[in-house]
Amino acid sequence: MTNTSMNDQLDGAQLAILANRLEGISSKMGNTLLRTGRSGVLNRAKDFSCCILTAGHDLLAVAESLPIHVLSGPDIMAASMVEFHPELHRGDAFLHNSPYHGCSHPADHTIIMPVVDDGGTHRYTLLAKAHQADIGNSIPTTYHGTARDVYEEGALIFPAVKVMRDYETIDDIIRMCQMRIRVPDQWYGDFLAMLGSALIGERELLALGAEVGWDTLETFTNQWFEYSEKRMIDAVREVPAGVHTAHSTHDAIPGTPPEGIRVTSTVSVDPEAAMIDVDLLDNADQMHCGLNVSEACTRTAAYIGVFNSIDHTVPKNAGSLRRIRLHLKDGGVVGIPRHPISCSASTTNLADRIVSATQRAMAELGDGFGMGEVGCFCPPSTSVVSGVDPRTNKPYVNQLFLGHTAGAGAPQQDAWLTMLHVGNGGMCFIDSVELDEVYTPIHVRTRRLVPDSEGAGRYRGASAIEVEFGPVDCRMEAGFVADGKIHVPQGARGGHASQPSEQLKRTGANDLEVLDQCSIVWVEDGEALVSVAQGGGGYGDPRTRDPERVRHDVSEGLVSRTRAADVYAVAITEDDEIDVEQTAALRGDRRHV
Amino acid sequence: MRFACDTGGTFTDLIVEDDQDRLHMYKASTTPADPVKGVLDALALAATDMDLSLAELLSRGEMLIHGTTHAINAIITGTTAKTAFLTTAGHPDILVLREGGRIEPFNFVAAYPEPYVPRALTFEVPERINSAGTVHTPLDEAAVVNIADTLRARSVESVAVCLLWSISNPTHELRVGELLDQHLPGVPFTLSHRLNPALREYRRASSTAIDASLKPLMGRYLGGLTERLADAGFSGRTLVLTSQGGMLDAGDVAQKPIHAINSGPSMAPIAGRHYARSDSDAPNVIIADTGGTTYDVSLVRQGRIPLTKETWIGQPFRGHMTGFPSIDIKSVGAGGGSIAWVDAGGLLHVGPQSSGAVPGPVCYGAGGTEPTMTDACLTLGYVDPDNFLGGTMQLDSAAAAKAIEDKVAGPLGISLLDAAGAIVSVATENMVQAIADITVNQGIDPADSVLIGGGGAAGLNSVAIARRLGCPNVIIPETGAGLSAAGALMSDLTHEYRATFFTTSTAFDDDGVNRVLEELREQCQTFVDGPGSGAESHDIEYTVEARYASQVWEIEVPLIDSTFANAEQLAKVVEDFHATHEQIFAIRDPGSVIEFVGWTATARCHVRPFSHEQQGDRGRLHTSRGRSVSGTRTIYFGGVGQVDAALYDFETMESSVVHRGPAIIESPFTTVVADAETTFQRTASGSLLMQP
Repeated sequence: MTNTSMNDQLDGAQLAILANRLEGISSKMGNTLLRTGRSGVLNRAKDFSCCILTAGHDLLAVAESLPIHVLSGPDIMAASMVEFHPELHRGDAFLHNSPYHGCSHPADHTIIMPVVDDGGTHRYTLLAKAHQADIGNSIPTTYHGTARDVYEEGALIFPAVKVMRDYETIDDIIRMCQMRIRVPDQWYGDFLAMLGSALIGERELLALGAEVGWDTLETFTNQWFEYSEKRMIDAVREVPAGVHTAHSTHDAIPGTPPEGIRVTSTVSVDPEAAMIDVDLLDNADQMHCGLNVSEACTRTAAYIGVFNSIDHTVPKNAGSLRRIRLHLKDGGVVGIPRHPISCSASTTNLADRIVSATQRAMAELGDGFGMGEVGCFCPPSTSVVSGVDPRTNKPYVNQLFLGHTAGAGAPQQDAWLTMLHVGNGGMCFIDSVELDEVYTPIHVRTRRLVPDSEGAGRYRGASAIEVEFGPVDCRMEAGFVADGKIHVPQGARGGHASQPSEQLKRTGANDLEVLDQCSIVWVEDGEALVSVAQGGGGYGDPRTRDPERVRHDVSEGLVSRTRAADVYAVAITEDDEIDVEQTAALRGDRRHV
Repeated sequence: MRFACDTGGTFTDLIVEDDQDRLHMYKASTTPADPVKGVLDALALAATDMDLSLAELLSRGEMLIHGTTHAINAIITGTTAKTAFLTTAGHPDILVLREGGRIEPFNFVAAYPEPYVPRALTFEVPERINSAGTVHTPLDEAAVVNIADTLRARSVESVAVCLLWSISNPTHELRVGELLDQHLPGVPFTLSHRLNPALREYRRASSTAIDASLKPLMGRYLGGLTERLADAGFSGRTLVLTSQGGMLDAGDVAQKPIHAINSGPSMAPIAGRHYARSDSDAPNVIIADTGGTTYDVSLVRQGRIPLTKETWIGQPFRGHMTGFPSIDIKSVGAGGGSIAWVDAGGLLHVGPQSSGAVPGPVCYGAGGTEPTMTDACLTLGYVDPDNFLGGTMQLDSAAAAKAIEDKVAGPLGISLLDAAGAIVSVATENMVQAIADITVNQGIDPADSVLIGGGGAAGLNSVAIARRLGCPNVIIPETGAGLSAAGALMSDLTHEYRATFFTTSTAFDDDGVNRVLEELREQCQTFVDGPGSGAESHDIEYTVEARYASQVWEIEVPLIDSTFANAEQLAKVVEDFHATHEQIFAIRDPGSVIEFVGWTATARCHVRPFSHEQQGDRGRLHTSRGRSVSGTRTIYFGGVGQVDAALYDFETMESSVVHRGPAIIESPFTTVVADAETTFQRTASGSLLMQP
């Protein structure tokens, strides 16, 4: 492609070419993080995201990132970088994890790097955001559910702090972190991985600018936003007009009211104006616990609720986001919580409830839209575990991703089994049992799907998963903040809810002990954690489910014949065949009765 | 005389190397229901061309090297054996859960993939080995016998066994194998630690399940192939190409059929490397093979054929991981049959949908209605409608033009020719992205690379692709249309041996490493003395997989020596690791310990030296077909307009004379387009060398 002047319009082909190249750059940044990260949360679970923003902080390319990490937040973070550092130079990089300045939560350390052209003009901003195994909290977990404020939480907060100048790292900051973060070598390795990711992105973007010209890229950016907005307009016009309110309630933990935290989302769709409004004003004030949802995650969760509910091929960037208007409460538990309130578990628990309420409200607007509620986070199978590894006598801290399902029924398809939680979108990996047993002194006794546990529906939610694991030749401390035991994920449009989550400990005497949902517990040698993480709710009446799908579930041992008859009204014979007549009778089909 | 026969989806390519080492190329139609027929048909074409009977031709052959898509087709069409999966009690969902991960996080239309073996055929074996390799729970043999009885009752045709930690202690898996032999005689099985001794249970289980599911079918197919070849008069050796770019005796592949999954395409980089060496000094070679529906790309760096551990059948996270290294070939949905369409927002797309072999592009006149890349090339004048595949197929230019007008030019509001040009541009960009992923994204500058264009349609836009990538040279080999078959003639008998041995840069265990390398060397030697005997020469190549402490993904560093005798050797490997890491990932961590994990030795037995410097006709395509093209044709380039292109005949062009475009260079198998900025010449080795 040759340089074009700023006024030239790019044609559809040129537009596609540049969009692919930018997506290519952000996925290359992600690959660098996966391959070079040191903690399991990065290199085994892939809990990170990369994106590209314009110099004006508009989200441009996100590749295959975790939805909760990027749809909103990077824009606010980039703006804070410019606010605090008005003069940007090539070779600068900043560390950012402040939820009060746009970061999702403090555990998501982020490297922000401005891309500066040869003339010194700031052209783009790159972001590499990676969930850390440890950030120096007061207790060894990155999800401090009961922290009454950021001081009790204990996280070091970096509001866009310069960590690299002229491509040289600023070692004062690094030394501070190494003094204050458990497993400092692991952290430093992850820090280098993030820097590498940003540097790879910078190298590519500078080359692209030199090749096609910065003006052409700017033309592209504007046109790409216009194209994305047009696609969004078309998608919104498909949704029936209406207003609907839905609720989703997080279970109580210390610091919350005894009935838990109810999230309310009101969605209004105006197809004519091609606008969707998500109103989150009717929610509680911020609370003295770690569940408050940062502004970045509140905004993003509402966006995810909308995007999960409409044509998935609409590009997600600042252009399509113009068609969603958000109404947030200043000082709300969801909304814009203010310093020094804690947002420690901001990316998962309550944020997932925002998504759930929003997509269920969307579902009520019409069949074919929305989704059931996705299974809740953060079960003991995804604990942050720590202790001393008896094989090396070295301390370890890491988050496990030993087993999750969580997917919910959608308008045209059964659940994606391994969603993890709704904000994650299923992007994270599940740990290999063998790999975890090598890198952590644990033994995984079982990991299996639980029959008859799915949220039934025309399209069903995922089965629950049971995981049992314990320390080997040592004791282990495990931290988790598990939701979904009291308020289970609901179905949409007549779909059923899934089953409650469970958090148990098997003692040496083989008794099962019920643990608090929000726990940091010691597990002794010979004991084991038993985690049941649920799937999501179903979509549509289960009695309208295609009998062939029911037959398949029975044959695969996921649904029993009894449940098939009782809940789905489908009779399956001992040979795993559909009993057509019996099914017709069960479904009340008059022609056969 | 040697035969190399590559069975593709549409055509079966055959290259015969005669007793003067000259090459002869033939193409026969593939019969999907009976692929051996295509092999015999292609051989019959060769026999006729050489004025021999089929039996006479075959009796002169010492070796037939076969590339086959039979295994991959069986997987894609779901016709593999009814296979059971036996795994450690408590962990029945290894194939269901996989490793998590997803593409398109907002897509709730795509279904979660079914496990490779259904849960209904999954059986939990009471036993457990722990990570240290000691027995945690002893094997319950009576339970295994019960399972075997159930498998018989349910008419299971093959069994995959993957127990946790069998790689540290295989006794339980071995015993399960013995019990299956005893209680389920005649049913083939695969043990995971024998097939793929790799950490991460999903990958190992997936390889095991795929391998077991292919055993009955590939046993029958390869048995049938050798038998029918023998019946037709062939008494030579039948070898099958492997996913790892080597070849093995057909009988050995029947024992480990998973190695045949990428049989065929894996040969393109081998051929590409050969042709690049003849005419280029570039350190890196990009090999692109254009088919009807896919565009397969690979990269040879410093002469090394790249391997990947993550091979997916189907899309990542939606298909199945083979868990096995194979030649790293990236395949994207872009080819001659890729369909051009305009979305609701006015954006032009080409592919990934394809018109396939049936109905094919609109111009084939076989019922296709959606405009394709081939239709665009015809409309632009690049392809001669009267001389397609040597004139054996007449193309319908008018129908192609109308489809582009209706489906692309109209919606975009541009002229027919600009629309056709845009289709080629978008397809070109998709292809460029595929190459960028394996070059730019790995820190490789295409400016240091030469692009090899393989496949019949490569010539249409290879120059444009090279220009976009900044690749200074393009080579279209004379056997380019049958690149994989040509590669087969160059391939070696190869076997790779791997061992896991952990040591670090700060506490390097020389003795331990030397012992491991010596064991690997001995295994290689056994292969060289066994299947490799009779080879003209051989070599053994060593590499180590290493990472910074607490990383879990290794990068590969070649070892110059196969023993560590002094500190300088370690220092050299350490520095090579830092440099490779920085080259790929932009950072190095000199303060960090380096962990050395996997050691690999690869034995290559060179069956016949394929000369780099050909003499006379040796290794050259021999043509007896008298045909020549001359004159000019009007063609259209996007952004330039209509130009008159000179026509050249690929096969009879004088070598070492430099020409300048615009030009079209034609042979019965391919058409090459050169624009006005392009210079080109036929080289002494027979390839077309072009400078964009």
